[in-house]
Amino acid sequence: MKTIWWAQIKAVIRLEMKKTFFAKRGLWIYVLAAMPVMLFIAYAVATSSHRNRSAGIAAQGEKTLTSQNMRAIKPEMTSQEVIAILGKPPITLHWTENRPPQTGKGMSIEVLHESYHYSDGQSDLFVRLADGKVENITIQQGNNLGQDSIMFAGVFQFFFLRLAIFFGCLGIFMNLFRGEILDRSLHFYFLAPIRREAVMTGKFLAGLLATCTIFVTSELLQTIAFLWHFPPTVRELYLYHNHGLEHAAIYLGVTVLACVGYGAFFLVAGMMFRNPILPAAAILIWEGINPFLPAVLRQFSVIYYLKSLCPVDIPSPPGTPPVFALLVSNSDPVAAPIAILGILVVALIALYVSSVQVRRMEINYTTE
Amino acid sequence: MNDRIIFEDVSKFYGEILGVNRVNLSIPPGITSLVGPNGSGKTTLMNLMTGLVRPTRGRIQLLDCSIDDPENLFRMVGYSTQFDAFPKGLNGFQFVYSYLRLAGRDSQSAEQLAWRAIERVNLVDAAKRNVAGYSKGMRQRIRLAQALSHDPKVLVLDEPLNGLDPLARSEMIALFRSTATQGCYVIISSHILHEVDVISDQVILLSNGYVVAEGKIHNVRSEIQEHPTQILIRCSQPRELAAKMFEYPHTIEVSIHKDEHGLLLKTRDADRFYLALNEIALNGIDIESVAPADDDVLSVYEYLIGNEEVVR
Repeated sequence: MKTIWWAQIKAVIRLEMKKTFFAKRGLWIYVLAAMPVMLFIAYAVATSSHRNRSAGIAAQGEKTLTSQNMRAIKPEMTSQEVIAILGKPPITLHWTENRPPQTGKGMSIEVLHESYHYSDGQSDLFVRLADGKVENITIQQGNNLGQDSIMFAGVFQFFFLRLAIFFGCLGIFMNLFRGEILDRSLHFYFLAPIRREAVMTGKFLAGLLATCTIFVTSELLQTIAFLWHFPPTVRELYLYHNHGLEHAAIYLGVTVLACVGYGAFFLVAGMMFRNPILPAAAILIWEGINPFLPAVLRQFSVIYYLKSLCPVDIPSPPGTPPVFALLVSNSDPVAAPIAILGILVVALIALYVSSVQVRRMEINYTTE
Repeated sequence: MNDRIIFEDVSKFYGEILGVNRVNLSIPPGITSLVGPNGSGKTTLMNLMTGLVRPTRGRIQLLDCSIDDPENLFRMVGYSTQFDAFPKGLNGFQFVYSYLRLAGRDSQSAEQLAWRAIERVNLVDAAKRNVAGYSKGMRQRIRLAQALSHDPKVLVLDEPLNGLDPLARSEMIALFRSTATQGCYVIISSHILHEVDVISDQVILLSNGYVVAEGKIHNVRSEIQEHPTQILIRCSQPRELAAKMFEYPHTIEVSIHKDEHGLLLKTRDADRFYLALNEIALNGIDIESVAPADDDVLSVYEYLIGNEEVVR
């Protein structure tokens, strides 16, 4: 009997694949998945061009600079001292400023401002001088993987998980049954000698296959785009010695788990509600207010477990109000095995509700 | 072992709207037609017996199977619905083939059965065309092929002759007949009464969600006492025959046929009429033929319902 069930589930998956992958009304899901990839490609292109410019500036300099040289520049140094350490600046800007006299009477004072731009090929140093003395020092670091990996984590948590995967799953899973009711073709399944639960399982697996393929591919491309602009040595160091590979694998795993969790939620919502906007808004709000909920309620959410699994913590910028800091940080993370189990349990509960719902379903298109 | 399709006090309400009410039926093998105008509850009855909708009250049993067990139910039921929508992107063959794969058939046997069913409905030439491009009649036939494909014991067909040309209609009627003679249950809904008359072994007359009569059409007619039986008699001396007939008290009305070779007689008692006719024939009036004139579904339906929505 189990063999025939599996054969039937595979038949459902085959029928659903075309609909889930190539439906015209699902095109926006691909756009959603492609957006962070585009963002990282744009960032990589911008960073590469910036690095080329920095290398050009470094080549124009009198001396070959190191980051130590650049850090040796201190405020109040004279321009001669700066040039003695770093050499003649490759790019110089100067302008004069007329300052009013301090007493309020007499002639205004003319102040000469200068800006020196140095580079070691990686980082850029901007030294601002006033009247020949260092007034301000800015170091713009290139190839900062630490900072970039936090940016990657931010995009992953706040755009990819909470919006792209969330709405992508909504688009695919809610349409598994609701779409067929609107197309008036659901009876095709219900007239076959197949358990309704098998139809539901087949549809869920087809949805999962589609969302996982779309979003795992997107996540892979994001990782490639994110690392692409770094020099091979930096990439290798990050991937093999700084947990980079492990992080990439975790992001992929979290993506799959997000598809499982949100997929199960939206499958049941698609059976219970005619209008997808209402449950989508309710789930979005529920997931959004998760950090502010009591500990018991927090567990009935997908994002609670997904956040605990994310490998990089996003630090709150200084001065962030505590309310917003709660959104960023995970104040109460759970251990990875519990988080994985939690998502699977939440998904199983949703699938159980779906199976009860599918058994009760009637074909009555006229009331839809 | 139950060999009937049974409805026990079945009612179905869609919210406040009545689908069918207090239906009690016991349907034997053969062709059974559900007759009634639009909205009388034919499709609801069919959807109920296939589990697509659940009864608000009562019990339905299809032979030995419950309608809550689609896995076993649809192994012996094929249902050609009135829903005119198909899964997107499938051609005729794929439509039937996918259905058989859903039923758990392996690809080889599904392919074999699909082609056989498509041949039975004469759609082989169009089988590889997308269903979306089919005419109404072709869509009707491919749905029929799907319903027939797994050799079901019970064939439920909702308005199966809609959209078919006369040749296709007669082919389909022959197909239903041959299926019924193999001991199958063929349930057909129709609002076209002359078709039903030709096809059916028994009829179920529906009106506003109620079953108003059921059984063999002749038996149903004989149950209707308030309307006199109409009999058409072909003979060479209609006036003499009419005069003799008026001697019997059960004769209500006689009208001479316009070709002067027959008469239409209304009697209160058909059995006595036939006895009287024998006597008259023995006394020298030559009778060519005798046939009931209102022993058909249309007349019965009109007597019971008086509804004009049903198409002749």
